[in-house]
Amino acid sequence: MADLQINSESVFNFEQCLKCSVCTVYCPVSAVNPAYPGPKQAGPDGERYRLKSPVFFDENLKKCLNCKRCEVSCPQNVKVGDIIQKARMKYSTHKPGLRDRMLASTDFVGTMANRFAPIVNIMLAMKLTKTVMHGTIGVDKHRQFPAYSAQRFETWFKRHAQAEQSQYSKQVSYFHGCYVNYNFPKLGQDLVKIMNAVGYGVQLLDKEKCCGVAKIANGLYDQAKKHGKINIDSIRKAKEAGRVTLTTSSTCCFTIRDEYEHILELPQEDVRESVNLATRFLFQLLDEGKIKLAFRSDYKKHVAYHSACHMERMGWVVYSTELLKLIPGVQLTMLDSQCCGISGTYGFKRENYEVSQTIGAPLFAQIKALAPDCVSTDCETCKWQIEMSTGVPVENPISIIADALDVELTKQLNAN
Amino acid sequence: MKFNTIIIGGGLSGLTAGLALQKAGQRVAIVSKGQSTLHFNPASFDLLGYDATGAAVEHPLQAIAALPATHPYSKCTNVEALAQEAQALLEESGISLIGTAAANHYRITPMGVLKPAWLTLADYATTEQGTALPWKKVALINAIGCLDFPTKFIAAGLRKAGTEVDVKAFTLPELEKQRQSPSEMRATNIAKVLSTANVVARMAQAINAQIAGTTYDAVLLPGVLQNPDLVAQLKSQVSTPVHFIATLPPSAAGVHVQTLLRQRFIAAGGVHLTGDKVVGGTIESGILKSVTTENLIDTRLEANHFILATGSFMSGGMDSNYESVFETVFGLDVDALQVPSERVKFNVFEAQPYMEFGVSTNEKLQVKKDGQEISNCYAVGSVLSGANRVKQSCGTGISMLTALQVVKHILNK
Repeated sequence: MADLQINSESVFNFEQCLKCSVCTVYCPVSAVNPAYPGPKQAGPDGERYRLKSPVFFDENLKKCLNCKRCEVSCPQNVKVGDIIQKARMKYSTHKPGLRDRMLASTDFVGTMANRFAPIVNIMLAMKLTKTVMHGTIGVDKHRQFPAYSAQRFETWFKRHAQAEQSQYSKQVSYFHGCYVNYNFPKLGQDLVKIMNAVGYGVQLLDKEKCCGVAKIANGLYDQAKKHGKINIDSIRKAKEAGRVTLTTSSTCCFTIRDEYEHILELPQEDVRESVNLATRFLFQLLDEGKIKLAFRSDYKKHVAYHSACHMERMGWVVYSTELLKLIPGVQLTMLDSQCCGISGTYGFKRENYEVSQTIGAPLFAQIKALAPDCVSTDCETCKWQIEMSTGVPVENPISIIADALDVELTKQLNAN
Repeated sequence: MKFNTIIIGGGLSGLTAGLALQKAGQRVAIVSKGQSTLHFNPASFDLLGYDATGAAVEHPLQAIAALPATHPYSKCTNVEALAQEAQALLEESGISLIGTAAANHYRITPMGVLKPAWLTLADYATTEQGTALPWKKVALINAIGCLDFPTKFIAAGLRKAGTEVDVKAFTLPELEKQRQSPSEMRATNIAKVLSTANVVARMAQAINAQIAGTTYDAVLLPGVLQNPDLVAQLKSQVSTPVHFIATLPPSAAGVHVQTLLRQRFIAAGGVHLTGDKVVGGTIESGILKSVTTENLIDTRLEANHFILATGSFMSGGMDSNYESVFETVFGLDVDALQVPSERVKFNVFEAQPYMEFGVSTNEKLQVKKDGQEISNCYAVGSVLSGANRVKQSCGTGISMLTALQVVKHILNK
């Protein structure tokens, strides 16, 4: 409080807003969806009124993507995105319907879908299913659903990888997230391959639940909190056993490190720094000279890197791109940093489809003009959106590193 | 993480230094806390607009020679050469300009005032003299609902200079859609709406309809087009010569310049830490070894050289409280009056003492802390003390020229 007085600061973060409007310049929604009041109005300006009376709350705040690009652009450290999300949490009277609950329950739906993956994948790809879902629950018919894997990552790990992990003297835990578990186990396998090659064993967490980002976005706050607590406890146990917890999803990482505390108000200070993005962890080990990577000489790829919104917010793009630059056969082009429009479950909703594609249009045009071998990004939902909208394959940096890695040589280099 | 040079601040001075160092083959990182005041640029760059008495400067190079030794320009060894280099750097980045360091021209501000300028974006309205415009009669046409273009003020300014003005307005279905959110009818949002050849073709039709039946020497529009191809298209499709006037900030022109410079820096392999803030540094026997940032936490960013390009009070490079005036990143030595009552003058329109406050540097623009020089850390741009950038219209010139000067010091080491 004494500092606040000396520095003439208010306890309300929104008071730091200078009204410069630079957040509006970088808001992907403001220019394409006039029903959204814009970040300045929805955030710091509106908050002043909402403090007087909840009657000033506007349900249109749900049109915010929670991309946080307003926060990245703000020179005055106003937490514009957090202000908007917390206002929705506090004042919204909207109750999530069946569609929102389904989209938000990535873990439950994933478990069900895995069991019948071949049938589910065919059905989800069928025009009839898409038309029915569009007309009944409001999942947009243009969307391609990510395919469900017949075997979960956890199942694969337990059957094929777990036993050999104990041979490594150094250990990490892996928060694989719903996408790796239900849709794309290969990414998790790629991480295990790299970590083993540099002399680290990988362990699953004691209990892992969905990070909760989709639940927060769809208003299922109590469930998100419940799952968040389970995840924090598991990460804490791993920490006590001397293991940091890695993720391969920028959004899972951001949610656990920042949204748990800022939005859900879950205490996690003691474990925040033991949750790390896999690319950042690898870069740090390399930077400190603790590991070495060797790459195949026959690997050649033109990679265009897309900065996912939450990656940009964490400020960690540099770790993934500096790693990619180490691969001799990779020609790296940085795409302009802008939102792809999908924002998790947002773009799956019928009412948001058009806005979602309009937001992403400049990015898609840039990718098509560049025609790289692949796009790389740390976010799985950006992957779906970019693959669907451009036809260019999208790879997580971890998968590119795993593909380019000379495993035997890397193992030798890290042998002691 | 190791670099040749780390620049703290991603505005005009930081980007200028970054681009120039890259040209010399350096590996450079820019740490940028939020977006910069370059977004507020009025489509123009100034070298020196007014002298100490407040009189408009005709020949900036001559007037700069007469500035006191405390002025940042006095630490630039060859202002004319640096000005040419700065202009070339902007043009190489894809920014078309008119103007020269030898003689100022005049730009039209968003409030309709004629102000001296060094370089102006080629499609924006300028005039040779500060008292008259090159047109007898103009149509001043706003986009209906645009919040950033006060036509009454602008028309009054143009009329004062002897030009006849008809104020008009146009709209399009796309703009009407945007107007559903009246508080978001900002120039930069309108620029995003007017961003395809199809929309611009209809914009040209709407403007032609507004001026049909009357002969105008020029059509003056708010600066809401960014893409040079679209500007060329509009000019070819409107029947009368078109010029833009910069809007109130954030301006489409400022965003355009910022975007081009930043893209070029990144395309050349530069590391741009967007939205990150330097929170500490390790100084050992007069050398800044490394810095740490809010987002990268425990990753030490090491470099041979550091450039402080954090801006003044508005950008957060300088700050003050009831007790002191200080530099915000390292607590460097500053040139400032510490007694609160001496920092400001009662009349806000007077030259304010605080505007000249800033970081204290030696003749090579090296900084010091607690009286000790930090030989590998330089300050550039608005964080420097010794200039009233508002009263003298010299902010962008200082930003670019001191940045280029420091690049020379670094490369000569």
